[in-house]
Amino acid sequence: MGDSAYSFSLTTFSPSGKLVQIEYALNAVASGSTSLGVKAKNGVVIATEKKLPTCLIDETSMQKVVMLTENIAVVYSGMGPDFRVLCRKGRKAAQQYFRVYREIIPVSMLTRELAAVMQEFTQRGGVRPFGISLLLAGFDHNGPQLYQIDPSGSYFAWKASAIGKHMVNAKTFLEKRYNDELELEDAVHTALLTLKEGFEGAMDHTNIEVGIVSADKKFKVLTPAEIKDYLGEVE
Amino acid sequence: MQYNGAAVIAMAGKDCIAIASDRRYGLRNQTIGCEMQKTFQINDTTFVGLTGLMSDAQTLEQKFRFRTNMYRLREERDMSPRVFSNMVSSLLYEKRFGPYFCEPVIAGLENGKPYLCGMDLLGAQVYTDDFILAGDCTEAMYGLCESMYRPDLEPDELFELVSQCLLSGVDRDCLAGWGCTVHVLTPQGVTTRHLKGRMD
Amino acid sequence: MLSLGALDYSPRLAARHREELDAPPVEHELLGGIGLPDPTERCDDAHDVVKMVHGTTTLAFKFQGGVIVAVDSRASAGAYIASQTVKKVIEINPFLLGTMAGGAADCSYWERYLGMRCRMFELDQKKRISVAGASKLLSNITYQYKNYGLSMGTMICGWDETGPQIYYVDSDGQRLHGPLFSVGSGSTFAYGVLDTGYRYDMSFDEACDLARRAIFAATYRDAYSGGTVRVYHIDVDGWHRISEDDSMELFFKYKAEKEAALAK
Repeated sequence: MGDSAYSFSLTTFSPSGKLVQIEYALNAVASGSTSLGVKAKNGVVIATEKKLPTCLIDETSMQKVVMLTENIAVVYSGMGPDFRVLCRKGRKAAQQYFRVYREIIPVSMLTRELAAVMQEFTQRGGVRPFGISLLLAGFDHNGPQLYQIDPSGSYFAWKASAIGKHMVNAKTFLEKRYNDELELEDAVHTALLTLKEGFEGAMDHTNIEVGIVSADKKFKVLTPAEIKDYLGEVE
Repeated sequence: MQYNGAAVIAMAGKDCIAIASDRRYGLRNQTIGCEMQKTFQINDTTFVGLTGLMSDAQTLEQKFRFRTNMYRLREERDMSPRVFSNMVSSLLYEKRFGPYFCEPVIAGLENGKPYLCGMDLLGAQVYTDDFILAGDCTEAMYGLCESMYRPDLEPDELFELVSQCLLSGVDRDCLAGWGCTVHVLTPQGVTTRHLKGRMD
Repeated sequence: MLSLGALDYSPRLAARHREELDAPPVEHELLGGIGLPDPTERCDDAHDVVKMVHGTTTLAFKFQGGVIVAVDSRASAGAYIASQTVKKVIEINPFLLGTMAGGAADCSYWERYLGMRCRMFELDQKKRISVAGASKLLSNITYQYKNYGLSMGTMICGWDETGPQIYYVDSDGQRLHGPLFSVGSGSTFAYGVLDTGYRYDMSFDEACDLARRAIFAATYRDAYSGGTVRVYHIDVDGWHRISEDDSMELFFKYKAEKEAALAK
């Protein structure tokens, strides 16, 4: 806890038992650009819109799908700077686990570490909750996994999920399209189609980002050229 | 390391391992008891043997229990022998400048295959695929192990070999002996036997 | 010096030289003029090279039937067991026994030398040397060599004109006369049994059993004692070897006896 006059917790209960700060944080997420994830039989795909406020920004300098460990990646909706903090903490937690056990951190453990950080920021003095939700995709000894973590620190495992501006519509879309026998290739297609549903304007390989974790337990971000190919298959 | 006295041996067979220790607990030359446990079962596939200062060995064993229990609660699985030895190694190095006076020997079945690992008191790991010795009569035991060891022994042959090596070893050591305990770990389970040894 | 040279080890002489010796030089005349070890050749680090048998249990006591001497048989170098079959009773002559604790070489060399001196006394005086006299010869030697690193704790036991006698002599030059002694790292354990069971009017069998149990207790409790338990008896006819038992067999024998007693 801090020791300044403002070190009391900013997240305080309302008389009705709500933590309005967390609801505001969820509003920040809901106004962020859409991200989604789909779990397949042999991998996971996460994707997000990469909307820039102005075309003057070099879109290649922006990265929203980020690798935490070789086999785990994360994408967010909400406030970009908050995401960087969690990225750093997530990577550090993963490396600390590896240092002790000389084994890669399981997806569930890393999810828990990040969720613990986000929870702490709803309770500690002098801080505000994170204005982001995370989608964590990974592949470990338990197979492919997709987790969503919210600003409150709660987390769930999903077969497919979406966060951000168009999450409601996107989820409805995913519910229709999802089945348990999905292959990774199909999952990428599903992800792209879902993203396209809510996309404002023309979606192409430059304004979205896609990452996949495949059965070899390796994560990679698709290059614009690869995205272009997938988009071609979806047409 | 010669305050309490101990001898531990671990050996790999065909899809099985054996780990054994003597049973003496002494204070320098004085024998206090001969029912000392120096090998510990960590989980269904992992054993650890501890030599050196027995108070540190007991403290370590409790720390191992704590850490493996927490790991099991968190991750809903048991530590494999390899993960366990890595954990032990980092636990020991945490006390780099005030170490536990203990040399652990870790033996287990990693995905059904033998896994052996020895360590010094700071956590430097040594991996072998035949045998690992620790304690204060290792020289005497090495000679036997080097000449008698054959790969892919069946559990009962492995038990015989480990027992003979340990018994002969402690017969050349003042500070270890007074009976032995031998565990043989196979995919089917553990068999534990106590051996009659020289009581001098 | 020769032995040290053979170890590919360049000996450093002690700081003190023969002409600057503050202690009186060793009387070679007194010691018989033969090649006795010269302490002025002492080398500083010799202790690291010469491994000692420090662990031992020996005991001797007088009772109505004479003297009982009992010893273990382990030789150790550090924690390593060099031998389990050492003879720690030195048969100086048919009426004198010496026990061995401390340095194996020191004990056996000087007690053999003592045997020679006792024989010379006999030839000179046409009678056997007293135990007091023999032990005094030894203690004079250890006193002359005091602080030169000898390591021995011995009991000179025998039967002379005055009857059974036991003298304790050690490398400090100490010489004690008494009815009961135990020497070595296991002596405390042996004393425990000995003092509990000792009576002067014990029968011969009781005395042998007590000695055996005392040494056995020491082999069990003391890490540096073990092997076989040897028992000697000295009476007016000199010494007799009574028994040699593996301590392992004694353990299970005594254990069975204890269990049988409890079962009753």
